[in-house]
Amino acid sequence: MKIIIRNLATACLLLSLGSCSNELDTKPVIEQSFENLLQQDPNAAKGLLSRMYATFALTGGNGPDSSDIVTTDAGESGFLRGIINLQDFTTDDVKNRWGDDGLDQLTTTNNWTQNNKFFRYLFDRVYYTVPQTTNLILALNNTSVPDKALYISELRFLRSLAYYYMIDCFGKGVLVTTENYGTTSPLPEASRQELFNYVEAELLAIEDELPVTNEYGRANKSACRMLLAKLYLNAQVYTGTDRYADALTYVDKVITEGGYSLAPNFQQNFSADNNTSPEIIFPLLADALSSQSYGNTTYLVNGNMNTETMPITSFGCTNGWGGHRATKAWYGLFGDLNTSTDARAQLFWTSGHSYEMNDYKTWTDGYPTTKFRNTNFSGSSSTSNFSSTDFPLFRLADAYLMYAECVLRGGGGTTAQALTYVNAVRTRSGASALASSDLILDVIIDERGRELNFEGHRRTDLIRFGRFTGGSYLWPWKGGVFNGTSIPDTYNVFPLPLTALDANPNLTQNPGFN
Amino acid sequence: MKTIYKKLLFLFLLLPISVLAQNALSGVVLDKTSGQPLPGVNVVIQGSSTGTSTDFDGKFKVAGLKSGDVVVFSFIGYNSENFKYSGQKEIIISLEESSNQLQEVVVQVGYGTAKKKDATGSVSVISTKDFNKGAILSADQLLVGKATGVRITNSGGEPDTAPNIRIRGLSSLNAEASPLIVIDNVPIDNRLAAGQGNALSLVNPNDIESFTILKDASATAIYGSRASNGVIIITTKKGSSGAPQFNYSSNFAFGKVNDLIDVRDGVSFAQFVTDNYPQHIDKLGIPDVNNPGQRILYNTNWQDQIFRNTISQDHNFSARAAIFGDVPFRASIGYNNTQGAVKTNDYSRISASFKVTPSYFDKHLKVDVNAKGLSSKKNAIDVGGTIGAALDMDPTKPIFGDSPNNRFAGYYQETFYDATTGRHLIQGALNPLARLMQRERPESIDKFLGNIELDYKMHFLPDLRAVVNFGVESSQSSIREKFADNSLQTYQFNTSTDPDENFLFNPGLNYYERQTIDNKTLDAYLVYSKKLSGFITRVEMQGGHNFQSFVNQGFSERFQYNITTGIREPNINPQNPKNKYYGKMTLESYFGRANVDILDKYLLTMTIRADASSLFPSDRRWGYFPAVGLAWKLKEESFLKNSKSVNDLKIRLGYGVTGNSDIRSQGYYPYTALFSPGNQNGQYLPGVNVYSANAFNPNLTWEKSATTNVGLDFDLFKKGFLSGSIDAYVKKTTDLLATVSFPPGQFLTNQFVNNAAAMTNKGIEVSLLAKIITSDNMNWSINGNVSYNEGNVDEINGASRIEAAGGRLPGIGRQLIYHAVGEQPYSAWVFEQVYDNAGQPIPDVFVDRNGDGDITDGDKYYVAVTPKLNFGFGTTFNYKNFDFNASFRGQLGGKVYNSVKYQYGSEQKVVPNVSSNLSNNLNGDLPFVTIAENSVVSDYFMENATFLRCESISLGYKFDKVIKSASMRLYVGANNLFLITKYSGQDPENFNGIDTNFYPRPRVFNMGVNIDF
Repeated sequence: MKIIIRNLATACLLLSLGSCSNELDTKPVIEQSFENLLQQDPNAAKGLLSRMYATFALTGGNGPDSSDIVTTDAGESGFLRGIINLQDFTTDDVKNRWGDDGLDQLTTTNNWTQNNKFFRYLFDRVYYTVPQTTNLILALNNTSVPDKALYISELRFLRSLAYYYMIDCFGKGVLVTTENYGTTSPLPEASRQELFNYVEAELLAIEDELPVTNEYGRANKSACRMLLAKLYLNAQVYTGTDRYADALTYVDKVITEGGYSLAPNFQQNFSADNNTSPEIIFPLLADALSSQSYGNTTYLVNGNMNTETMPITSFGCTNGWGGHRATKAWYGLFGDLNTSTDARAQLFWTSGHSYEMNDYKTWTDGYPTTKFRNTNFSGSSSTSNFSSTDFPLFRLADAYLMYAECVLRGGGGTTAQALTYVNAVRTRSGASALASSDLILDVIIDERGRELNFEGHRRTDLIRFGRFTGGSYLWPWKGGVFNGTSIPDTYNVFPLPLTALDANPNLTQNPGFN
Repeated sequence: MKTIYKKLLFLFLLLPISVLAQNALSGVVLDKTSGQPLPGVNVVIQGSSTGTSTDFDGKFKVAGLKSGDVVVFSFIGYNSENFKYSGQKEIIISLEESSNQLQEVVVQVGYGTAKKKDATGSVSVISTKDFNKGAILSADQLLVGKATGVRITNSGGEPDTAPNIRIRGLSSLNAEASPLIVIDNVPIDNRLAAGQGNALSLVNPNDIESFTILKDASATAIYGSRASNGVIIITTKKGSSGAPQFNYSSNFAFGKVNDLIDVRDGVSFAQFVTDNYPQHIDKLGIPDVNNPGQRILYNTNWQDQIFRNTISQDHNFSARAAIFGDVPFRASIGYNNTQGAVKTNDYSRISASFKVTPSYFDKHLKVDVNAKGLSSKKNAIDVGGTIGAALDMDPTKPIFGDSPNNRFAGYYQETFYDATTGRHLIQGALNPLARLMQRERPESIDKFLGNIELDYKMHFLPDLRAVVNFGVESSQSSIREKFADNSLQTYQFNTSTDPDENFLFNPGLNYYERQTIDNKTLDAYLVYSKKLSGFITRVEMQGGHNFQSFVNQGFSERFQYNITTGIREPNINPQNPKNKYYGKMTLESYFGRANVDILDKYLLTMTIRADASSLFPSDRRWGYFPAVGLAWKLKEESFLKNSKSVNDLKIRLGYGVTGNSDIRSQGYYPYTALFSPGNQNGQYLPGVNVYSANAFNPNLTWEKSATTNVGLDFDLFKKGFLSGSIDAYVKKTTDLLATVSFPPGQFLTNQFVNNAAAMTNKGIEVSLLAKIITSDNMNWSINGNVSYNEGNVDEINGASRIEAAGGRLPGIGRQLIYHAVGEQPYSAWVFEQVYDNAGQPIPDVFVDRNGDGDITDGDKYYVAVTPKLNFGFGTTFNYKNFDFNASFRGQLGGKVYNSVKYQYGSEQKVVPNVSSNLSNNLNGDLPFVTIAENSVVSDYFMENATFLRCESISLGYKFDKVIKSASMRLYVGANNLFLITKYSGQDPENFNGIDTNFYPRPRVFNMGVNIDF
């Protein structure tokens, strides 16, 4: 009885004191606060940095089925996959046949709408990397982590890289910075010029901070300069003011100060052991076991494979997705593939396929590209579901061709140097050297096609050369018809996703879309 | 808390019970009108703790009587009788049925009970006699269609499938939207244990005595923090205080899937391909080894291959007795084995329950101890994958044979020979039957649910009671996924190029998970109750404290294939080698309730509750939830008091606010900045472990629902001919916890939960019971309920719509269903289809609703998928020893997207884009060659989901006195006997409004026996 009364008394005491209140501060066990994390793992800051690099290649931190952004299909949401979808499928080089909701719109450069999830994926990816890097910059600012200054510079590079895709693809956005991060009310719309100015200022600011060389996979001075050069090269498109001289300045620094050289063999840059290539300035890493994603090079490799016509295991694959094939607008650049001496002409699977892409949905129409593969360039290979091939986002051959283009566009430099660079790229693959008189802009865009197609640059290049919209340049299925047709100039940028417009009323849709 | 628990247990075990035998009285209690014996009548000596209850023959025996003692005979639904003892040995007592049963119904009101006539809130009680009958696996199946305002939509015919229970519409978008379920004073967790499909399959339905459903805020407010979605209180059967009674029941059920989806058979498929895609005829069937260049075409019905006729059984044994003389006790044991309609999808459950309700110190201390143990095991299948594969699979392919050296254990699988590596690679879709038969995934759960409640009436002040209740809900789950020998899904290669040597299979464990859930609840409260005379006739005050904690932890073992050897190896994450997880949520509350009865006519209930949730930051943690309820007992007014035709009449009025904090779907720490280690496949820079910054929202706080309710309870005419209640309500939810898109870049990810939206539900509910015939030999009653609910999304974070969870179409993942401002929650955003003269849709032609000459999003409109009207009705008929029972339910309105038509209804479906082999499609002339992007969201696919289902029907006969006093009831019945609908697909009953890869609800015939002895 006494016990009961005592218990009741305890209960009454509980009523008045609320002694359980500390129980309400529940503590996680697996997850950690920032402070605990830094204490527990001396490499934690680098682990957080690594994670930010990974946002361009992986869909999430927990393997291929995880996604950083809320989406239906984790695998579809990768940044690199978004780049390929938007920058290559919309152009002349590669077409996809799956016909997923929205993918046909890209492949046919037609009927673009704000509901297309593929526009949203890239948009949401940019605005995942931007706040995440900013958040980490702010957190690191308050610590005394050893390589803090370097890490912050690298994070600013990654943020700028993300914004670069906003400038290039959507032409507007919102500007989230270290200073305004944490604002909850919707930020104003930022114009293409404002985003351009911000990225330019950021890159110029970190150029000095970044080292000439850095660990493979991380940004160095050259990666920063390469991004600046791309920004300047396209400044006419982005801002209406040309900056070819600036582009040349920075691309020249990459070439002369970066310490890179062309890989002896083109294919070395696109094989599973391409981390040994001397040419790659900034890669997006992949590993068949430890760094798995359906949105990294796995998308490029497996996407072009199909057991129906190809021995996929000879390319290191166990899974063919039967999705992508190049068009004649790419392989046609090499003339007759059977007689071409160009090593780059050999990277198409022709057996069982037709040259013409009569129906982009038919697998055997058009040649799959085997440029990206999961076998090692040297030594033996194994097969796997996921790719181990890194994606060369920036590489020296691109810099060479950019230099030549800057020269031809009046950005300074010398024609002789330009010719040397272009011919270095060509002769490396067994193509004939060009004469000085051959070096004109039209040659550059075609050479960029031969060299850089399917590397995420094509749409930007075609727009800069005025070949993307309008009817002056046609390719298979442009505008939704077999021989290609004119598309409106509004297609030089993508529509903003409806979800973004709904979430920030300050954002307005790009003209021509709804 | 642990110590309190131990002390209470100790106390309970220590207290001895002793009875001294004195003079004894025996006799029989009969129904006054029928003369039939009444079992279960309480027989108590007034003013003492001694008592018993009558057995099945109405007989009783009480000992220890002194001359002058008053023996009280009481029974629910009957008027009590007092008998003054003066040395008699045997007596016969006749009890008269009380004229007004409604008055006697006791309802659970949360932390106590009330007579239904005194309830001020909107409360429904569904008890044993009202339940659905037949093959019942889980508690929700007893209730479906029975209570107004309660919509239960299970997701198909899979055993242990999740019921979506919504009380008065949807009142939460992303926080928990299911009602709070309280089983014997233990509020259970809505979060499911690993491997558990249905929270309610873990209580044996045979043990359930009643459901009390609290709907309006004045009733639910006492449960505050978890009561926003309503409360379902489950009370289990109690022990008796008389002679031991035993019950054995057994049920056998035979099920069959009624309708298969009408995809093409082998012959018409081959014809269709030949006519429409002649370039692909070389893919039909399999090569004929004897006639090179020829192909053999089979005719396989893949749906027949995955479905089966089922046999299920259910057995229960229960005993009720008074142990130690006068301690009511009940124990039961049950076994259920249910076969799912898809092969290998077996479910079995063993359950045991124990309830003892002793009282001490002249009934000053009442103790209520409940313990339930359950152990269930099911073989989980990949429902979507299996059913989808059976529809997709080319019907000209064989089931068995034709794989290289028969390597897949006899199952057919299309392969492709890669000469460069010597590998026979799998091509095309996996054989659906092999997928099913070559994998097993037993998911087992052991669960304990128990509580001990002490209710002490103060010796010095009997009007004051102190109640302490301690409850535990704990479970252990384990999942083991294993593959059989030669399983297609484990087919791997090594580096050899010899076609006979280079492959291997990896039978055995592929996934393992163990999970422990440990939830505790502790209530302590004081109740002061006093009957008064004068203006205020009764006062009851109650105040208390509640604390709950929920801990969910576990680990898993994962595997991956070695890319060189092809061997499956443990996939170990060095930072979290066992893939451990842990989450804890705590809730703390203070509550108070006051009931004041004025002149016995006007009843007033006031409730206040303060709640704190660990899911919110400390400065936003506490929410305050008041409620008030008023009832006017018109029957007590002079103008009705003597009315013969109005047995009872009461008007209720209630208003209250309740809260919801359960956003554990976003993690247990949604407001804190936390970092998680990445897993072993999500690393990036070599030699360093990655960490991710988790999204969080520091501004989270309570979602609040304010409900206003007006209700009327009535019982009219002779013998309660017509009784029922009518309720009307408006429920406004604000600060809705919804997953919304944040302004891009201003948050750690694109979408997260926020207190962002507002919603209103309005509705009317009517429930009626007509006792058409009430006589000695024959009883016939009809009951019915209708619920009308209309939801409206008032606001969403400044946006005009957000994507509804579960509202994406299969395959391509196009969002169909939204929560849009001004619309019902769950509305499909669609184009209006244009049709030709023959009534066929014209592909890709839609009505230009806004008249701008373009078909854009501006032409789309919203179609609500949730029906506004749900109904259920049933009838019970007894004639002598025959009984007949039937229950029906359905919905009026509502739409469902016929995803089968969209997925399988185009010609081009037979030539899939991604796979190299052919795929089946729907029979007949199809309106679409391909279904273009806009057509996917055409209202052509939105079909009327009105239906009427015969939920259960049963016919029984009771044999009295089979052996001695034992009675036996035999019955036959059917569940899901028929479905009436205009829907062109399989079954329109669908929660999310998208009918895809549906696990069909089988038609079940059952028979059983129920023996009381």
